[in-house]
Amino acid sequence: MDTDRRAQWLRGVIDLCVLGALRDGESYGYEIARRLEAAGLGPVPGGTLYPVLLRLEKTGHVTADWRAGAGGPARKYYRISPQGRQTLADAGADWRRFTAGAGALMTGVATP
Amino acid sequence: MSTDEWLHALAAELRRRGVEAGAVVAEAASHLRESGEPPLTVFGAPAAYADALVDSLRTPRPRSHGPVRLDVRGVTKSYGRRRVLTGVDLTVRAGEVAAIVGANGCGKSTLLRICAGLEAPDAGTVHRSGALGWCPQAGGTAEFLTPDEHFTLVGAGRGLARPAARDAGRRAAAGVDWDPAGAPQGRHLSGGTRQKLNLVLAGLGEPDLMLLDEPYQGFDHGSYLDFWAQVWDWRDAGRAVVVVTHLLAAADRVDTVLDLGGRA
Repeated sequence: MDTDRRAQWLRGVIDLCVLGALRDGESYGYEIARRLEAAGLGPVPGGTLYPVLLRLEKTGHVTADWRAGAGGPARKYYRISPQGRQTLADAGADWRRFTAGAGALMTGVATP
Repeated sequence: MSTDEWLHALAAELRRRGVEAGAVVAEAASHLRESGEPPLTVFGAPAAYADALVDSLRTPRPRSHGPVRLDVRGVTKSYGRRRVLTGVDLTVRAGEVAAIVGANGCGKSTLLRICAGLEAPDAGTVHRSGALGWCPQAGGTAEFLTPDEHFTLVGAGRGLARPAARDAGRRAAAGVDWDPAGAPQGRHLSGGTRQKLNLVLAGLGEPDLMLLDEPYQGFDHGSYLDFWAQVWDWRDAGRAVVVVTHLLAAADRVDTVLDLGGRA
């Protein structure tokens, strides 16, 4: 995939993808990055991911705390908040409408 | 650059931007340990990553409701037949920063001199309230005085006793990465250092309204960032600050941008 284009797409939707990655349980930065990559978004550099996490935390979409991992070093674990779930539901629905429209245009299947 | 060097540089860049570095640096360290990747690949250069973090922490500021410190209405100015300013308005309250931007020769410095009362407008009015701090683009320092003597002299004009003036000057100088203790007379200082001296003098005695004309000329990048950190501190302390600048790097953080456009 064209990496410039992928990075542009990602910029518009990464906050929702991060919330989505936390929907089913808490996680920490490195693991979130791997979940996003496993989902097909390509590698998400830390320089992109952590500012997003910081903003989501600041705006109350996620909560975070430091804990020692199982036998490992301390990690900052992130959990989605009720407000984060609300945003994920609302903006997620908007995103599906948007991509359905864009997809229809690109493939030439007209929608009313 | 080793991982430790990168983390150290990131901490320094964050502190320079007034951001608590500990947790952010620890999180980056933890990520790098687990991924085993080089920091420049994962996070990019420390300064750029620090900028991205600062951006993500920024929240839009509510408008200040402090008293109006500078009120410029309909100011017009010509030199001979050349019209430099036409009907310029600008209002700056306590706790606000205004940037005056525009191409070289568009009248930015002229407007600031009119704001300071150093020049009269052909038409329009300028009202100031409170004590004034002024930092010109160049000049403003005395050839045969040391920095400490400058602090004493300017401090005296603002009601500071000699030791208080010297301490305030040295403290402010440290904020732009400069130690003026034992520095030579003004004529022996570099251009950038003279501008640091000018900037420190403008802030002595904590004036209510600060008018700064591109005060960072000759600063290295670090001191340039220190300068803006100083501006935000002044704003938080309730000063009104007007900065003439041709650099828009900080434009999204100021409260007002007055764009004088192209050459008059």
